[in-house]
Amino acid sequence: MSAKSEDQLKEKIINVAKKNPKGISHKDITAAIPEVSSADLVSTINELLQQEFFDLFNQNGVLVYRLKTQTSKQAVKGADNEEKVVFNLIEEAGNKGIWIRDIRVRSNLANTQLTKVLKSLESKKLIKAVKCVNASKKKVYMLYNLEPDRSISGGAWYQDQDFESEFVDILNVQCHRFLSQRSDKMKNNPRGPIVGRTQSYATAAEVQKYITDLGISKVELDVEDVITILNTLVYDGKAESSVYPDGSKVYRAVDPLIPAPGLVQVPCGVCPLIHKCASTGLVTPQDCTYMKEWLE
Amino acid sequence: MSHQLGRVVSAILHRYFGEIVQKVGDDLFTFGSKPIGLIVKTTSLTRTQVIESLRTLLKFDLATFEPSANEVIADYKLIPDNVLLLIRYPRYLLQIKSKYGSEAELLVEELLQQATCTATVLLFTIAMKYKDDKEKNITIVTLKDMFISLVTAGYIQQAPVAELKEGSEVPTLVPVATIVPDLLVSRNGTLALVQAMSSGSISEINDNIYWRVNYDRFHLDFRDEIMIKAITRRIDENAGELMRFLLEKMYLTSAAWAPESSPLCVIDLRERCRGAASDRPLLHQFVDQYLKVLEENGGGFVRRVGDAGSGQYCVRTRHAARQLVLCALDHTVTERLGSKAARIFRLIRSRKYIEEDDIQKNAMLVNKECKQLTYKLLEEHFISVQPMRKAASAGGLAKAIYLYHIKLHDVAHAAQEMCYRALHNVLRRHQHERAAHARLVDKQRRVRTIVHGMRLRGEPQQNIDDVEETLTPPELAVLQGVEKRLKQLSTAEMELDRNLFIFKWYFMFPETK
Repeated sequence: MSAKSEDQLKEKIINVAKKNPKGISHKDITAAIPEVSSADLVSTINELLQQEFFDLFNQNGVLVYRLKTQTSKQAVKGADNEEKVVFNLIEEAGNKGIWIRDIRVRSNLANTQLTKVLKSLESKKLIKAVKCVNASKKKVYMLYNLEPDRSISGGAWYQDQDFESEFVDILNVQCHRFLSQRSDKMKNNPRGPIVGRTQSYATAAEVQKYITDLGISKVELDVEDVITILNTLVYDGKAESSVYPDGSKVYRAVDPLIPAPGLVQVPCGVCPLIHKCASTGLVTPQDCTYMKEWLE
Repeated sequence: MSHQLGRVVSAILHRYFGEIVQKVGDDLFTFGSKPIGLIVKTTSLTRTQVIESLRTLLKFDLATFEPSANEVIADYKLIPDNVLLLIRYPRYLLQIKSKYGSEAELLVEELLQQATCTATVLLFTIAMKYKDDKEKNITIVTLKDMFISLVTAGYIQQAPVAELKEGSEVPTLVPVATIVPDLLVSRNGTLALVQAMSSGSISEINDNIYWRVNYDRFHLDFRDEIMIKAITRRIDENAGELMRFLLEKMYLTSAAWAPESSPLCVIDLRERCRGAASDRPLLHQFVDQYLKVLEENGGGFVRRVGDAGSGQYCVRTRHAARQLVLCALDHTVTERLGSKAARIFRLIRSRKYIEEDDIQKNAMLVNKECKQLTYKLLEEHFISVQPMRKAASAGGLAKAIYLYHIKLHDVAHAAQEMCYRALHNVLRRHQHERAAHARLVDKQRRVRTIVHGMRLRGEPQQNIDDVEETLTPPELAVLQGVEKRLKQLSTAEMELDRNLFIFKWYFMFPETK
């Protein structure tokens, strides 16, 4: 077999593999390229495996070849075996990342060696370490070009694993302002209450547009993020949510059903010492300082 | 029947009836029910004093009695809920005044003070009191008409009648159906009343039907008002009006305090709205839409139950009570622990059972703050925790899951206790404030009477000024301060009572699991 026909065959196999990113078995190849002899095929595949075009898997007793992604193929160039193993483990973990202890267990490398390998990979900008928001000391490794998963980075609300509560508060206030601007339209609407209600509703997308136009957020907020903020408004009792027939969620600012009840209008309702207050003793209603201030 | 309730009841009895009745009331509260002999023993009051106090309590319906085991003597029992109503009197008066005018107010006020009274005595006393008052222009005939309309509307009812059962020495009080008496309706009755007025005595008239105020009727009014106001706040005035119509219809078909009304037909409602079309053109135009909005956005006060007769709706007062209690609790949490805690509180409520991690994720709070607030809520008994341990796991390493949830009934109880406590404190402070400045207040009153007397006698202005100047400016300033404080405390009492009303309404329905 000439070198040229071998190259053609290689290309054909790679093309078949590209169409099936989940991997191809021997049968798939023979079905796709029936004219080739099995001996040629075996030698070609072996060569491809050697050149690390393919990963080899054993799936239910059948051998499956899967095309390696381009990046990983290039990345490991010029690396030693340990680096390759570690790199593969990290790659497998995807954007969820992998913990250093898991790498050690799975790669069977000694601790010192592993740190060395990781450092070298990091310096080559192939992988990066990301701090996890759930556990402050835990670091996970993932490929350099990947965006960390929400569970790791915490999404838009985290900056360097710190939760930005002020940012959330500001957005919460702004969303509420936006909703309350509309809520008056429901009251005594001359076109009927249903039209009024529809006018007072705002979809999450509308709120998102408003927030983006305000320009208060440096981070790009998607609709999901805005929905989280709007949900906090619902939990604050300042808004109610409903669902449109097309499945999109809508929100509307509401007032509480009753004004502040009597209990919180007197100092006792907010008094931190209420459970220690008695007819006699150190804390009594007669000599209560809070009550005195309130009555002034 | 809690310790806090006992304290409030005691403070109220002290304010309205003095120390002796308070003592007897306290004793009855602590021991539940007991006969006179034992009350005398524990309170170390004289027998006549105890009997007098019991008489007062019984008259105002603050206590009941029932035959004890040997059927010869009676056991007495305090009714704490009725004692609490004493501070609601101003509200009853306001309600009746705004609904029926000042004459009705006079009637109810007099009747509340008398507790139970015959119609003739009641009408006669009021008429005599205002005989010379030309401004009000009150005659016994107009009073009588007002009385009849109050009876018909159910604000006044007949007092229960004591009946002796066979073989028992102790009478039992049997409620009587309220019927408007002939004496008042007939011509002769009216004539007799007018004659009594001119002769100045009612000994001629034989009237032995006693009347008293029907608190329950007032409470229904309060309930309706709260619901209508809530709807008005949530949607608008038209929806509030619609809620009023629905409640009106509810009275016709269901028991007044029913947890859910029987289905109400839309056709009737449309008819009712047409009647009010001139005042509320929008409501008339969009009845169906308003009903839909009321159902979907009205806090669940109204529910659609069927399509018969172009739609049937029912009013869910029980659900409304629940919603209002929740709202009151939300406010309480917000004020006590801040709005972030209220967010967590509501979040837990909307999820029923929720893990700590999920709280943090959904409430969008800093982890530490969120945990702190959750534990604070737990500490103040606003939320409860349910640990879920995995059964049969080896070793102590098995991680338990902690689910937070809200036991509404218990939380409402805790909040009610807090209300009692606050009410007690306000009452105590009121009493303390008054006692501390009793001398000054007394002096002011004396000066006023003297000045009034001098004015009547037409003494020269010079002398009047001299007497008035005995109250020095600093004293006047203090008096002003006291007055302001007392007023503020009274307002607080009323507000706390309103708050308690919502809780009482909620507890009227048994807990649902």
